[in-house]
Amino acid sequence: MRLQQLAHPRHDYSYAFLDEFAKRELRRRILKAIAIPGYQVPYASRELPMARGWGTGGLQVTLAAVGPTDTVKVIDQGADDSVNAANLRRFIARMAGVQTTTDTLAATIIQSRHRIPEERLREGQLLVLQVPVPEPLTHVEPSVTRARQMHADADYALIWLELHEQLVRYRTFTGGADYPVVVYGRYLMAPSPIPRWDTPMLHQAAHLTLLSAGREKRLYAVPPYTDVRPIEFEDVHFQVESQAGRVCAQTGAVNRFMNEVPQPDGSSRYILSDTGYAAKLVRRTQGEVVEIGATYYDEQGRFYHTEFLHHDD
Amino acid sequence: MITPQLTAFEAQSQQTFQALMWALSYPGRAQRIAEVGVAAFAAVGATLIDLETSYYTNHAGLAQLLAHSGARTLGPQQAHYQFYPDLPTMALDDLALAPVGTYLDPDASATLVLSCHLGAGERLRLSGPGIPAPFMVNLGGLPPGFWELRTKVCQFPLGWDIFFIAHDHLIGLPRTTTVEVL
Repeated sequence: MRLQQLAHPRHDYSYAFLDEFAKRELRRRILKAIAIPGYQVPYASRELPMARGWGTGGLQVTLAAVGPTDTVKVIDQGADDSVNAANLRRFIARMAGVQTTTDTLAATIIQSRHRIPEERLREGQLLVLQVPVPEPLTHVEPSVTRARQMHADADYALIWLELHEQLVRYRTFTGGADYPVVVYGRYLMAPSPIPRWDTPMLHQAAHLTLLSAGREKRLYAVPPYTDVRPIEFEDVHFQVESQAGRVCAQTGAVNRFMNEVPQPDGSSRYILSDTGYAAKLVRRTQGEVVEIGATYYDEQGRFYHTEFLHHDD
Repeated sequence: MITPQLTAFEAQSQQTFQALMWALSYPGRAQRIAEVGVAAFAAVGATLIDLETSYYTNHAGLAQLLAHSGARTLGPQQAHYQFYPDLPTMALDDLALAPVGTYLDPDASATLVLSCHLGAGERLRLSGPGIPAPFMVNLGGLPPGFWELRTKVCQFPLGWDIFFIAHDHLIGLPRTTTVEVL
């Protein structure tokens, strides 16, 4: 036997950049994460040709899962065309030879920084969320060791206390993006800094969500059809950001998550945060036949799991 | 720049991983895999184990195939990846020893790869994460007392995660799935 027969032909990079050893480790961690919804699984977090904090956690999960038949969409705050999203998308496409898309319906893997698309994801789609701070207890318990023990004991008293203190001081919950959730009735989880508008989309979803923090070396998962409840009290409920009265200046859409665009005269205009969805709406008004999926919220702002959100006012 | 090539080994690992990931995400739903029988066990092994992990198998032929992975062989009370292409009744004593993790590290638990017959044997009702409405499946070829043992062991967040291999099908059963024998 000759060495040439044993070795594969020389190439400069492994498929999908990471070597098999790194991918096997990630794949083992991903499977454990799916089996223990909301539990933060430690992983090695390899070096990548971009700085930690720029989506390396999500990127590693995408690279471990991706195959040549996948279609990848990458968004940053809802936008397909931001610098971060464009660079990640180009890197994934070069290294894995995959098709890319801006259409949520056409994608098999969606890597996202801080948004979930407006159109409902379906079974078999993988949503990869980039996570800056995976530990939801950080601001009530700075010690990672003690926070881990609190997760082990399901002792979340401090977070409930903080929620109560918010009510006492401000008469409302002050949490914004990255609103803590309880997954499968057990683990408190940071859903990554998605707006509260997106938080209910994780509850009993048809798709698989993987969340990964490259700098903090933790990954975790929300399996499909799993209960995800934002923390709230029986008599004071979690609220999403109201989009009432906001009309998209490009498409005329209402009751979607909007970006505020300040105007020179001090007023504001609003445009859709989800640019892939906005582009499809624009193409439809131009007379093209475009397939637009069902959205999580309807035109009246009602969430599709009708019992999930409570309106206190 | 040309796209890096996917070698045959990498392609098999990637496809097997996709099957494992979706099998665990939608418990009970069979995923197709390219290999059959002991080769399927070897493919799962090649996808998951290497010198960072430990494994146990009761099958001499599979042990030879898995030895190439570089993973350590440990007993059933310690190994994190356990492969049972044959599942005699006495194997239940070994399964009872498999690690279930700790409350601090619930991921330090065993992943079991077991053989079974799909569409024959006991009728099961599955519910839990990944299952929108109670899911019925028939799984046979498991030793008597298996489901009682699993119910005793899988106290969330602790427990084993199981992959069943039936010919060219793969079925995932994470610790979160509630199994009722009808």
